[in-house]
Amino acid sequence: MLVLDRVGKTYPNGVRALDGISLDVAPGEILVVIGGSGCGKSTMLRAISGLDTPTQGRVVFDGVVISEPHEEIGIIFQEPRLLPWLRVADNVGFGLEDCPKEERRTRVAGALERVGLTEKARVWPRELSGGQAQRVAIARALVPRPQVLLLDEPFSALDAFTRADLQDHLLGLWADLKPTLVMVTHDVEEAIVLADRIVVMRPHPGRVYEEIKCDLPRPRDRQSAAFDFAKRRVLAALDRSLDRLIVTDDGETRAAAGGGLWW
Amino acid sequence: MTATAEQAGLEQAASKARLARWARPALGFLLPVALAVFWEIAVRMGLSNGRLVPPPSVIWTTFTDLARTGELQTHALATLTRVAAGFVCGVAAGTIVGAITGYSVLSHRLVDPTLQALRSIPSIAWVPLFILWFGIFEASKIILIAVGVFFPVYLGVMGAVISVDRKIVEVGRVFRLSGPAMVRRILLPAVMPAYVISLRAGLGLGWMFVVAAEFLGASTGLGFLLIDGQQLGKPAQIVAAIVAFAILGKTTDWIIALVAAPFLRWEDRFART
Repeated sequence: MLVLDRVGKTYPNGVRALDGISLDVAPGEILVVIGGSGCGKSTMLRAISGLDTPTQGRVVFDGVVISEPHEEIGIIFQEPRLLPWLRVADNVGFGLEDCPKEERRTRVAGALERVGLTEKARVWPRELSGGQAQRVAIARALVPRPQVLLLDEPFSALDAFTRADLQDHLLGLWADLKPTLVMVTHDVEEAIVLADRIVVMRPHPGRVYEEIKCDLPRPRDRQSAAFDFAKRRVLAALDRSLDRLIVTDDGETRAAAGGGLWW
Repeated sequence: MTATAEQAGLEQAASKARLARWARPALGFLLPVALAVFWEIAVRMGLSNGRLVPPPSVIWTTFTDLARTGELQTHALATLTRVAAGFVCGVAAGTIVGAITGYSVLSHRLVDPTLQALRSIPSIAWVPLFILWFGIFEASKIILIAVGVFFPVYLGVMGAVISVDRKIVEVGRVFRLSGPAMVRRILLPAVMPAYVISLRAGLGLGWMFVVAAEFLGASTGLGFLLIDGQQLGKPAQIVAAIVAFAILGKTTDWIIALVAAPFLRWEDRFART
């Protein structure tokens, strides 16, 4: 169980990035955090990962207050961040230094197979495409089998086809290992494809604005009406979170002009 | 029929590639060889007496004569020993101080300004002082060379450590590497390319400083051969010593590059030389 207890972060220059975020994330849940820029999504994720410490409140995982990276919490960044001096297989096995050699090899091979890159094991990172590199990063984060996996806009630098492909990949991996996923994104469709629950944040300072349950049956059809409906709901919540709503003459609420440009 | 034609084509391409492999480095020899041939012909034809600028044949004779009497080897070995000793000391000091000042902001503020000031002092300026302090024999020479090697290595290591990508360091933090593991698995490989370049720059300066050291009171070494050739009016000996310097300098540089190559194969380089 991952608990955020009134987590706040004020930077030394006085900027308040996060203010009183309280969230419970159940084991195996997929939580997607969405919101406009500057709403502290990444700051929140970094606080959970232990890379940064919050200035107020605390992050607790299984009764342990997180103040530095925890072995059961993995993170995938927006960029793959592969180590360029290690071949793909060694990058994937980076977190298994203490493992016996034989076990390490089988686990790395298994992880590479799961992300469909077995034939790239002996290749240098520079020889991979953007999507392949991010798949290696996913494999590297999953190989130590963390209970929680944090994802910080992991697919935002990729083209739409690769992105959809990797979302499906990620769901496949999640179905195998059932880690808790906390993912930050600014892509509404991505949020609905993946999430059990969507947290909409609002900026200045970053706060939780609304939580939306997302219980469409999996696998989710991106073309279905239910999917579209969920998408509208999230978009509307985002617009409201940015105070971009107007009330029309006949009493209907609608997004103001430019209201769609929430990112 | 087509298969054999294809094979022939492949063989042709392979032999072409083989040729290219040898032809490309050979291109670098074109200019010096052409100049040497030109000068040889000019002297033979009597366009110049070649006394002050000896032709290649005379230089070659001097070179082989020096080698036959064992003089060349003695002098080359003396110089090489000095460079090696100075290089090792300079690299050790430069690496340690560079790593510390790169890692810790406080020590950088404390030490770097002084070192930068010292760096701007011309090497020769140290010689009289070093002779007074360390005597006229080997110690002062080796220290002078070490000073020359120190600065490029120091600058290279410090700069490389400072500019290690925070994002890569965070990967190490996420996997909860301890301090030494962070150095071994993240920092060291990350600074390796810049380190090799600084080693090669340091070695180049080492070869420059050894001449300065040997100009002032040495009875052995290639630098001594230079001075000796000047005082006795033997330009061929000077050029022979210069050629020996060139060969040794290039060879030692090549050895560093060769030893470092396996550590740098991962680099995503713009051009491969």
